[in-house]
Amino acid sequence: MKKDRKTHRSSEDGIALLIAIFVLLLISVVAIALLVSSGTETALGVNYRTSSTVYYAAIAGLEEARGRLLPKNPNYFGASYISPTTTFPLGQTIYVINRGSGDNIVPWDSSNTYYDNEYQTEFGTAASSASWQSVNSVWDNNIQGIPGPMFKWVRINAATEQSLFLQVNASGSYNNSTPIFYDPAHINTSGNPWPSLIVNMSPPSSAVQALEITALAALPNGTQKILQYLVAPVSVNLTFPAALILDGYSDVFNSPDHSAWVVQGSSDGGDGACAPSGPVPYPVHAVGVPDNPDVGNVMSGIPSSPNESVNFTGTGSTPSIARVTLATSLQTVQGLNQIAQTIIQNADAVIAGPATEADLPSAMSSANPMTVAVQGDFSLGTSIPAGYGLLLVTGNFTYASGSNWNGIVLVIGKGTMTTSENGAGGTFNGATLIAQTLDSSGNLLPGPHPGPATFNDTLSGSVGRGFVYNCGWIQRAQAPLTYKILSFHEIRQ
Amino acid sequence: MKRAHQTRCEQGFSLIEMMIAAVIFILLCSAAFALLSLAQQRYQTESQVLNSFQEARFGLDEMVRDVNGSAYPSQNMFSFNPNVPAKNLYAITPVAWDPGYLSSSPCLIGTGGGGTCTTPGDFDLIVERDVDYWHTDGVEWTRYRLQGNILSRSQTYKVVSADPETTTALSFVPYVQNVMNNVSSAQIAAFQAVYPNMFPGGNPVPVFNYFCYTPFGTQQCASAGSYNSPLNITDVEITLIVMAPTKDAQTGQVRLIELHGRGHSLNPIQ
Repeated sequence: MKKDRKTHRSSEDGIALLIAIFVLLLISVVAIALLVSSGTETALGVNYRTSSTVYYAAIAGLEEARGRLLPKNPNYFGASYISPTTTFPLGQTIYVINRGSGDNIVPWDSSNTYYDNEYQTEFGTAASSASWQSVNSVWDNNIQGIPGPMFKWVRINAATEQSLFLQVNASGSYNNSTPIFYDPAHINTSGNPWPSLIVNMSPPSSAVQALEITALAALPNGTQKILQYLVAPVSVNLTFPAALILDGYSDVFNSPDHSAWVVQGSSDGGDGACAPSGPVPYPVHAVGVPDNPDVGNVMSGIPSSPNESVNFTGTGSTPSIARVTLATSLQTVQGLNQIAQTIIQNADAVIAGPATEADLPSAMSSANPMTVAVQGDFSLGTSIPAGYGLLLVTGNFTYASGSNWNGIVLVIGKGTMTTSENGAGGTFNGATLIAQTLDSSGNLLPGPHPGPATFNDTLSGSVGRGFVYNCGWIQRAQAPLTYKILSFHEIRQ
Repeated sequence: MKRAHQTRCEQGFSLIEMMIAAVIFILLCSAAFALLSLAQQRYQTESQVLNSFQEARFGLDEMVRDVNGSAYPSQNMFSFNPNVPAKNLYAITPVAWDPGYLSSSPCLIGTGGGGTCTTPGDFDLIVERDVDYWHTDGVEWTRYRLQGNILSRSQTYKVVSADPETTTALSFVPYVQNVMNNVSSAQIAAFQAVYPNMFPGGNPVPVFNYFCYTPFGTQQCASAGSYNSPLNITDVEITLIVMAPTKDAQTGQVRLIELHGRGHSLNPIQ
């Protein structure tokens, strides 16, 4: 009996242990399965998140560099680094460095974690062989106080066919010694306008340099992405064959009966930028119209007793009122509207009309001319000394006789410009163009030619000084509006 | 002594105690297994929803990026003077079209059966761009098409004298499954019973919604007048309505997810 009992007890002990182990195993298997499953889900989620993060971080880098190329940007790189008006040489680079906590970013150093291998791929020479300059990102070391985008560096350099791996000339080989330009006035083999990249050691004056912007974004887990823009500066790039242009047919023109009011196509003596061989046409006519009947329309609007037409001076005989040949884009409703839209899209300030000079940006000054688009009616009064830059008005433009504007005035839309008596001696220094592209309901005219432009200034008491062509202000008012994206693509890694 | 010891050792529970204990144990086990079963059902349903969501999100993201990079390199990256490059080396448009691609006659983009384009359409998109620019093999066509409930993807080289629609139709592979954007009216009605805000008006929801450049800003292509053309597409809004493969184990209802994305072509056709 004793033996039997002992044997029985021993057997029961084993079962309890086995059951406990079995239950533990079961629980462990379930737990591991859950862990593996959630781990896989997490990995999938993390992969997706990192992939998206580096992509958009790199775009943030591209956009910062693109914005800072503009001189009007508060964080402009500076003319000592790069300027829209001078060619950036091949073999030079600008790096925008964006350090995170503990980062050491030296893209031109082959031993650095964030070495710029891509430069070698594009140009066939090491990044260290380029003449590099570096600037800190606006986000560098979290200067802004909040974590910024996680791009590491952005490189800006002149582009070549080889760096883009693109045969712009379709010549069968990749040129690596000539910088690429973008020419909006380029003509193709059929003789048609073909705004495009060009490879030309002596690019035409209409061409602007295409710059390559390359951004590397990297995450702590090692995920990297390189994206690239090709950009070029864009400005409205207008030339004015007269100080005042009525760009329409059957124009309406009425000028003041006063000898102090003038229209001068020859610049003021103080405008040193004007020269017959300069980049801006000079001298020009006082008033320009696109066809001969409108020369008569303008002439008939000038008071003849006393004869005020002697106040219209410029190219040719006085009165200097002539049919002029305008740029193709200024000849049609579509072209004019395109210019207006480009300005509206890239203006420093877009103001909804009706508006007055009080609505103009306060930062506008002689040293900081701005591009302002008024969508609607605009009234320029005398509560500010003067406006500076490029002014677009799509509605009716009314100006006080004592008001001043230095730069370019485009009245494209309703195409009417009238005056009100308030002070005296106000001047439009630069060039002014009036064109009707909209009907009274604000719809685009069918075209192709714009409707009648209207200029009405019939004051005879306190009059303005009028319109004085000014090459310097025309140039300053046409600073690049933006750096246009010519191409975007991901770089293979 | 021997008897007393034996009594202590063999002292146990009465039958009543055992039965009560067994009943309590069974009740506890039942509750635990019921909870476990519920958790299991919920896990299965949610993991299927999650899988569908992941798949759709990957697909959507890829399509958005394809549209972002469309039209690379544009024809205006080539000077066309003095030499003219072969047509397959550049993109003439961000989105290829049919009919009329070969004759360079853009069709009109419509929605809900309108327009003259068969592609681009509500459920069909062909992106034109050079995916692997470091190769000299030229531009590729990447096509997405919803057929039934499967969004398929196809990628081929751009062939100078070939139509993009027929060329890309030969190599479709399934890309995202259970896409329910274009189902029958009866199915839409059934879905709306669970998700009243989906399928506005009881109509299929286009996967691709196109926006065209106009001088007055970007507008939906179908209402862009003379600017309604695949050549003028700047943005593609993508909507995916994806259904989990099985119904909710608890409620027995379908599980749908709606995702939105918008691709913006950064390569202008200048």
